[in-house]
Amino acid sequence: MSDHPVRAHRRITLPLKQARVQRWVGVAVLVTLLLLSPLYLNQSPYQMGVVTGAFFYAILASSWSLLAGVAGQFSFAHMALAGIGAYSAGLLGRDLGTSPLTGIIAGTLAAGFVGLVIGLLCLRLRAAYLALFTIAFSEIVRIILLTEFQYTEGTNGLQLAPLYEGITPLAEYYVTLGLLLVSMAVMYWISSSRFGLFLRAMREDQEAAAAMGVNVVRYKVLIFVVTSLIVGLAGAVFYHQVRIITPNTMEILQMSLIIAMAVIGGMESLLGAAIGAFLSRISLELLREINILGIHIELGAWRYAAFGLLLMFTLRFAQNGLLYPIIDRLFMRRVREETVSARAQTAEVEP
Amino acid sequence: MTGIHPALAIWLMLAGPIWAGIGAWGLPRVYRRKGLDDSRARLVGGLGGLTMGPLMVVPLWLLTPELKAWYWAGIPGMLAALQLYALFAAMDPKNLCVTNPQYVANQLSSGLTIGFIYALMAVGLTLIYSVQGIISFAHGQFYMLGGYISYDFLVLVGDVNPIVGVPVAGLVTMLIGFVFERLFLRPMHLGHVERTGEYAILITFGFGFFLQYTVLAAVGPFSQKAKPYLGMGSVQIGPLNLIPNRLVAAAIGVVLIVVLLYVLNRTWLGKALRAVSMDKQAAAVVGINPLTMNTLAFGIGTMLAGMSGAALIPVFTWVPWVGGPAATRSYVIIVLGGMGSVPGALVGGLIIGLVEAMGSGCYPDPSKGAAYKTAFGLIIFAIMLLLRPTGLFGREL
Repeated sequence: MSDHPVRAHRRITLPLKQARVQRWVGVAVLVTLLLLSPLYLNQSPYQMGVVTGAFFYAILASSWSLLAGVAGQFSFAHMALAGIGAYSAGLLGRDLGTSPLTGIIAGTLAAGFVGLVIGLLCLRLRAAYLALFTIAFSEIVRIILLTEFQYTEGTNGLQLAPLYEGITPLAEYYVTLGLLLVSMAVMYWISSSRFGLFLRAMREDQEAAAAMGVNVVRYKVLIFVVTSLIVGLAGAVFYHQVRIITPNTMEILQMSLIIAMAVIGGMESLLGAAIGAFLSRISLELLREINILGIHIELGAWRYAAFGLLLMFTLRFAQNGLLYPIIDRLFMRRVREETVSARAQTAEVEP
Repeated sequence: MTGIHPALAIWLMLAGPIWAGIGAWGLPRVYRRKGLDDSRARLVGGLGGLTMGPLMVVPLWLLTPELKAWYWAGIPGMLAALQLYALFAAMDPKNLCVTNPQYVANQLSSGLTIGFIYALMAVGLTLIYSVQGIISFAHGQFYMLGGYISYDFLVLVGDVNPIVGVPVAGLVTMLIGFVFERLFLRPMHLGHVERTGEYAILITFGFGFFLQYTVLAAVGPFSQKAKPYLGMGSVQIGPLNLIPNRLVAAAIGVVLIVVLLYVLNRTWLGKALRAVSMDKQAAAVVGINPLTMNTLAFGIGTMLAGMSGAALIPVFTWVPWVGGPAATRSYVIIVLGGMGSVPGALVGGLIIGLVEAMGSGCYPDPSKGAAYKTAFGLIIFAIMLLLRPTGLFGREL
């Protein structure tokens, strides 16, 4: 930590309080930009739909980074949990005629309950086994939804009611943005609390964490439940806006897209994963077809292939992700160095 | 309701799972309290509780016999299959499975046939795991790629039997496996990467993602099928209705597995691979380079995946996303048989072949049976992961 105490000393350019202010200013600028950006888009349903979808992916990616990056639980069940949220909401709305709000609450709770069960069942499973179990789980859910078509409409997809009659794309934009901001705030609060510290300790060494008095069982299950609730809520709300959900949204390849986005953004940083997902989603959409010097190229699946390559090289050569180092530089480093050097100073004073 | 008492159905639906829970939860604790080996207690307790309820759980609880022999898990497992069959029969008495023994025999034989190819693919995965200690999440994409390489080669060459495509596909997928291992997995073994476990999952996953979309972009989302090995149609032998085309695919699987077992057990290369899988340091001391063996194992593993794809493209229709379900099936097989165990993968492959054939053939609603084909294996997989993650033949962790 204090390998270079002298250098750490010299780099204190801002007092701690000022650095914190700078970080909050950064967050405020980002939020204001997102709040105001619809004014500069042409607000066509397509454009707003893309951006709203990007927000949805950002929620999924950042909650995955909380589960996998911070807590070290490699789950592939995120898309399935979002689907469970959306299907519960949709089925309730269609068969019992409940309002979308009731459906969304029920869907969130359903996803949370399933997350609780997965968390309890997977307590003993280590990384690769957990990945296999959750892949199997999401495949089972997808196959059931696909096959029981008399209840779920199968491949045709289940129709969902709009959030309220006559909702505009602009309103949907703000609803999803609000959801993103709230869930980010909750997840940041979790990851910076004692709970977050416990999770990191468990990720690094479960036995050591348990020996230090961390209730491993409780926190492992809890993090599964929390992320499942967030994902279920996001899924229920988002698919009420898309108005339709098909079992194919739960394919492992969809899930791998989210994982790729989170890894490229920075797996251990919630903000990095969210921004990574947002930017990847938008750029994948922009790259659908390109014009270079008058030559029209349809990229189709090639852009995903390139995305896969980017994922591999990110993993190999920049394990912290591509965006996290930038975010770190902009917002965090000074705060951290301040704390570290302050501790180093006090440590030096002590005999 | 003919042939089965309703009480039995209620037992199977409700009491079975409850007793299974009691057995799986309680028995390991009893064994541990008595200071006995509890590694199999969860599996035997769970399966025994599911099938025989208190009749099995209570004696085990009181007597705690040693559970080493195969029949402790084998007999309850078979009983579970029989009871499920009875349940299906009760739900739909007019099912072909109940009324037509010939149909059952055919399902069994086709399950066994396809099981050999499943086993071939899973053996590749288990070989990679036993030497490298990682699970390749790109295995299904290598399988898919093998099929396409064989298909393109056959189109290129023209009028030859599709069997020629198998070695070609194996060679190409092996080379791709070598290159990938050398570029992305070796740095992990050399300690150039942090958090190796997570890295291994993600990097193989990322490569699978890349292969998947590259092939999709190259061939488009259309289904393709190579011409059959031996013409279409079927042959009637006794009560069995056999499809020669599938039998050839199974024969390819058997031959390749035999060759692999020979290589693993009788040649220097095989001994070196097994040595590395047992102890890397000791292997290095006696002059085996573990890094080379890692690369070789990965290449052989991907080759087997590619060859099983190439062996199956004359049998099944091929689309760019066939890899996903096939890979999932391989995970099921290696977890069932025990991670890193080649005989386990063989047995697991046959079991899964049978379970899928019988499950999809006997499901009460025939139109849904086929759709649930993979789900039957996945349920076994989930149960196995929970009851005994080391599998039937696995090394103790």
